[in-house]
Amino acid sequence: MSNLAFATPLRSPVEEFPARHIEIVSSREQRRARPRVFYAVVVVIGLFVLFMAQLLLSIVVSDGAYRIAALQNSQRDLGREQQALSEQLDLLSSPQNLATQAESLGMVLSNTSPVFLRLADGAILGSATAADAGESVITGSAGSLVPNSLLAGVPLVTATPDVDPAIAADAAAAAAAAGAAAGTPVAGAPTAPPTADSVASNPTTLPSPVTR
Amino acid sequence: MNDARKTKRRSALAVLVIFAVVALFVVRLVDIQVVSAADLNEKSLSKRSVSQTTYGSRGNIIDTNGNVLADSVDRFDITASPLLVDTFDRKSEDGKSTVEVAVVDAINELAVATGATAADITTALTEKPGSNFAYVAKSVTLEQLTAVRALGIPWVYDVLHPSRTYPMGSVAGNLVGFIGTDGPQNGLEVTEDSCVGSSNGTSTYERGADGIRIPGSTVTTRQATDGGTLKLTIDSDFQWYAQQTLAQRSIELGADWGTIVVVRVSDGHLMAVADYPSVDPNNVDGVSSSDLGSRAFSSPFEPGSTMKSLTIASLLDAGTITPTTQVNVPGRRDLGNGQSIKDSWAHGDIRYTATGILTNSSNIGTSFLTDSLSNKETRRDYMTKFGMNSLTAVGFQGESSGLVRPTSQWDAVTNYAVQFGQGMTATSAQMASAYQALGNGGVHMPLTLVEGCTMPDGTVTDLPSTEGTRVVSEAAADTTVAMMENVVTQGSLKNTLTVPGYNVAAKTGTAEVADANGYGSDRIISIAGLVPAEAPEYAIVVTFAKPDTMKTSGAVATTFKKITTQVIKTFKIAPSTVPATTYPLNF
Repeated sequence: MSNLAFATPLRSPVEEFPARHIEIVSSREQRRARPRVFYAVVVVIGLFVLFMAQLLLSIVVSDGAYRIAALQNSQRDLGREQQALSEQLDLLSSPQNLATQAESLGMVLSNTSPVFLRLADGAILGSATAADAGESVITGSAGSLVPNSLLAGVPLVTATPDVDPAIAADAAAAAAAAGAAAGTPVAGAPTAPPTADSVASNPTTLPSPVTR
Repeated sequence: MNDARKTKRRSALAVLVIFAVVALFVVRLVDIQVVSAADLNEKSLSKRSVSQTTYGSRGNIIDTNGNVLADSVDRFDITASPLLVDTFDRKSEDGKSTVEVAVVDAINELAVATGATAADITTALTEKPGSNFAYVAKSVTLEQLTAVRALGIPWVYDVLHPSRTYPMGSVAGNLVGFIGTDGPQNGLEVTEDSCVGSSNGTSTYERGADGIRIPGSTVTTRQATDGGTLKLTIDSDFQWYAQQTLAQRSIELGADWGTIVVVRVSDGHLMAVADYPSVDPNNVDGVSSSDLGSRAFSSPFEPGSTMKSLTIASLLDAGTITPTTQVNVPGRRDLGNGQSIKDSWAHGDIRYTATGILTNSSNIGTSFLTDSLSNKETRRDYMTKFGMNSLTAVGFQGESSGLVRPTSQWDAVTNYAVQFGQGMTATSAQMASAYQALGNGGVHMPLTLVEGCTMPDGTVTDLPSTEGTRVVSEAAADTTVAMMENVVTQGSLKNTLTVPGYNVAAKTGTAEVADANGYGSDRIISIAGLVPAEAPEYAIVVTFAKPDTMKTSGAVATTFKKITTQVIKTFKIAPSTVPATTYPLNF
């Protein structure tokens, strides 16, 4: 029987107790105050959003640059076109041109005094005298003596456009043939509108519009 | 042990290499960012940035009704790079296939589009084949530019070339002047450059690889400024009529030159200043260089008998005569020293009233009337107050002040001759301005051509002065005009001068022209007048110099009547309701 009760405990050869890991356990308040992963994620995402926004913004801005450039170009072109048209309008409304055109239509600039109708009492002041057909300022004399080199290419309103005579003859023949083929117009059917301008361009008579 | 040392040495080496590389980078970085930073920045900027000229628009010149006399327009220079001239591929109209276009064809297409000749374009392109720049055509219109752009030739470019156009041609061309390649050359374009002149600006911007402007990169280094709008007192329609009528009659008469000046008497505003010959500013080479300006302002001449109205007004104001002052006028007045005064027609003794002297334009009679106011200085003062011997308020380019010599230089004949318009000179503008004073109850208003200048910011400058000076009393002026009515109703030109329904006051003038050998056969003929005579609104002076076919003032009558009628129509003058004043011519 062994004296187990007195048996000295066996000593382990090296008794190495690992140093006990002691750490300060933060209190609940401390734990609550500490930043969490959530916040980090928010910040990172926020930054990402900001960068993306900036990127998109700069894309939009540079896209706008193309639109601005295109619109500025079209504004410039339209401005130039407007200017060119008003330049032409000014030229056509120059007194030389108006007078020449008016006289080519048979109008005269009368050399007689005007007659006034006084609105207050309906009185007629002055004696009416008919203008003389020969009282022209431009035609009949040496023509326009107030030169304007810009008017060189402006045709008279009474001038017939240049048409190749052969083509004109062909067209006339074709029109005649078409007229013959159509035969007598059906009663009640509208007559074909005249092919010529509604305003006759005859230099010897005053033109008048044809109304239907 | 060995292994550990090897590892240590290897890591040391790595660190060293890293340091070396980093050092290299740092040196380079400092070099780029600090040492040569400015230089590099400049280089990069010059690659990205574009400098451009922004053009200020030169102001328009308009007439009193707002019609444009001078206009700034865009024109374009078509340029090309001879270095790059080559055949090119052009997309056909359906956009699918391409056609190769030869250089010769491209040049022919350019010639059609720009109006230049193919030969000229070929020369321009082949003169300096290595050059990067050549002009194909200068100052083409927008229409032509559009045609050129439609050709799609890759080596052809265009540059804006601001230009000037005169839509009414020579209507008021004598006044407006013109612009040459070096800026304003003549007329109001020069003298009113401070109003209509513009200045060009410069700005730079940066552009991307595709040539598009980078937003927000524009830097304006100098702001372009636009010119103001210059408004004249001229009525362009009436000015045209005056020029056309003047030119027509000048050609008929074979006159060297002619002028028509019409002034509104109430404020001295010029309604028309017509000159023959006059320049078309769009085609300056069309007339000789002496015809570029306005003779109405620049050419003084001895006005002749139109001065008699001013003499009469002066003497009436001095109170030394009345319209019925009686003078026995002999056929010749001897002044001693072999000098004498004659009339333009031979006659014996005639018993004229002062009105009769004016109506028949007797020089001898005028000399006797002059005797009633013997003080030369007083008479000369009247002339200078009427605007003689000084520039008009217009101050037109190259304007002449005419000449009335000091009284110390007046000899026996000159003493009288200046009173009937010989031995002194005045311009058409001065004569019109003097008649304005007669029509305005004796108050001389400053002659005005510019109504004002409206700057782009809305401020109005160059407003004309409205301060008049009294020359003669209202009674003297009105009586003179009434006496001038008798020229129209009782004078030798009554059949051609009378305008039915209106009282017109007029005075004729047939002046001898002095040349190197004294007075020759040349004449300067004129009629000056006012309409309507009972309350004058417009002063009209028509002058023809050195006519060939007719050398008396009768040659002016038809033109004067046409202009008077046109004044009545244009400015809506109601018919006269009172009969013309009649004074006896003889006693």
